[in-house]
Amino acid sequence: MSIEEQYRKRAMELLSGGAVKMVIGYGRGSNAERRRPVFISSPEEVNRLVLDEACIANLSGYLVNEGLLSDEKRVAVFLRPEGIRAINILAAESQLDAEQIVIFGFDVSGNEVKALKGIHVEEFEDVIGAIKEHAPEMGNEELLEKIEQMNPQERFAFWKEEFAKCIKCYACRQACPMCYCRRCIVDSNQPQWVNTSSHSLGNFEWNIVRAFHLSGRCVECGNCDRACPVNIPLRLINHRMAQEVLKSFDHFAGMSKTQEPVLASFKKDDSETFIL
Amino acid sequence: MTKILFSDKLDKCVERWKSAGLTVMGPVQRANIKTYAAVEHASEFDFGLILTDRSIKDLFFPQTEPMLRYTIKKDAINTDECLPPREQRIIFGARACDASGMAIDDPLFGWDYKDEYWFQRRNESVIVTIACTNADEFCMCTSLKMAPDSTKGSDVLLRPLENSKGWQVEELTERGREAFKTIADLLQEGSDTAAPVAAVAEKFDLDACVAWLQNPENFDSKFWKEISMRCIGCASCTYLCPTCHCFDIQDEGDTYSGIRRKNWDSCSFALFTLHTSGHNPRSTQSARWRQRIMHKFNYFPSKFNANSCSGCGRCSRECPVDMGITETLQEISKLSQ
Repeated sequence: MSIEEQYRKRAMELLSGGAVKMVIGYGRGSNAERRRPVFISSPEEVNRLVLDEACIANLSGYLVNEGLLSDEKRVAVFLRPEGIRAINILAAESQLDAEQIVIFGFDVSGNEVKALKGIHVEEFEDVIGAIKEHAPEMGNEELLEKIEQMNPQERFAFWKEEFAKCIKCYACRQACPMCYCRRCIVDSNQPQWVNTSSHSLGNFEWNIVRAFHLSGRCVECGNCDRACPVNIPLRLINHRMAQEVLKSFDHFAGMSKTQEPVLASFKKDDSETFIL
Repeated sequence: MTKILFSDKLDKCVERWKSAGLTVMGPVQRANIKTYAAVEHASEFDFGLILTDRSIKDLFFPQTEPMLRYTIKKDAINTDECLPPREQRIIFGARACDASGMAIDDPLFGWDYKDEYWFQRRNESVIVTIACTNADEFCMCTSLKMAPDSTKGSDVLLRPLENSKGWQVEELTERGREAFKTIADLLQEGSDTAAPVAAVAEKFDLDACVAWLQNPENFDSKFWKEISMRCIGCASCTYLCPTCHCFDIQDEGDTYSGIRRKNWDSCSFALFTLHTSGHNPRSTQSARWRQRIMHKFNYFPSKFNANSCSGCGRCSRECPVDMGITETLQEISKLSQ
């Protein structure tokens, strides 16, 4: 039985028995290459679920949609390891109760899709630990290396050109499972902390604010990168910030549902004094 | 015999237009984005693109533009009105969907208050459209009763020659004729045949969709929730759309000096209709998506007698979650059967 068939069967069982109220997975998209999120609430619909190497998007962000989990019922969701890490962070940041989430774990390497064993987020700690030790290739290592080699002026020029393309559609924010704020800082207009204009300053403000806010929280799922309609390689910024956090604090985001958020916790014996 | 512009003359044309004081713009690929931009030489154009990622709207209605600068001192308040810089432009190699999108928005920007920013740029621009000979699966102009060689909004229409050596020239407006006078000696009479236009399949029954949307009973249909459940509420579709035209006016600065700007805004955002009281008449994403569809195919046509969609397909092509007007209208077509 293929993993797609196995997971359809499991979805059918969970929905028929009432163990979950909904399965969030992937369905066919508008062309052969595309997959789109689908929300399955009845056992008759499970054949709409698709699972193959084109299932890339991190679907965890839908779990924090207003009201979805407030009835305390369970929801199942198809997740790759990055998505599972996102569940841990959302739980650690009190955005959801991990007990309510039933995971259909899978990973893709090349053209092969393999199932990840487990249902609850705690069962995937080994998988996540392995990623911390050996990060999978993102496919843009060449550009990353090129940027690393640049001096600060060149790097600034590179990002200036990239941010010049930004139109502030906020697709990066909306696609990101970590951008769950009900009201983003850029939407707070009493007072207007951050300019809404999409000019060079405004675009820099936006993209840098977001990069800082994701430091130590980004799971590098690539949703932002893929969502960006003007092809800004946003993932590289978040990747670089994740590396910094790992190096400075040995913090790998999303290890467990009780992991303390790196930039929102402190220790009394911290060698830095400025924060207290 | 028809008037022909051969590709090898295009660089001369660009020079000629430039020396006549025109900024020459067209489809280019720069910094990993396909867009319309000013060029120095014809070699910078990329006519192989089916469509640019960004629409031609950017050139008439930029994402942000200054309207007013102010300074406030103890005894005086000074304001300086800002208008776009004067610039005569020729946009060479637009697509029919983009050009018609601008014509669709003309009545909107002029029905009560005449938007000077829009009309100054419209009046200072010549749009030279190249008929499409290729399309992708997201193109849907024919579903909107238009075609890859529609002339709406264009000043000149070019039809690519079958031998790929140039274009048949059809001057459509006075402005177009004027711009092509500058290069009259570079055009030739010829009998080269034009390549057939792209075959764009009709994807939905527009009349049936409009009738369904006009039926007040369908305003509260559960369809809206189902179709937009995966919508993440970004503005990718509205900002890339050639006809979406909503904007917000924002003051940037402080009590003493600053600038008033006109910025793109989007009905996809929750903030778009949020009242000061905290009440939001469009409190869900499905209500926002319904608004976008209703506006384009029901409210706008009832006021301006044209749909606010030119069939470019960018909304579907670029949507992070594979939604778009095509899917929605296809589903409505099914419902209305």
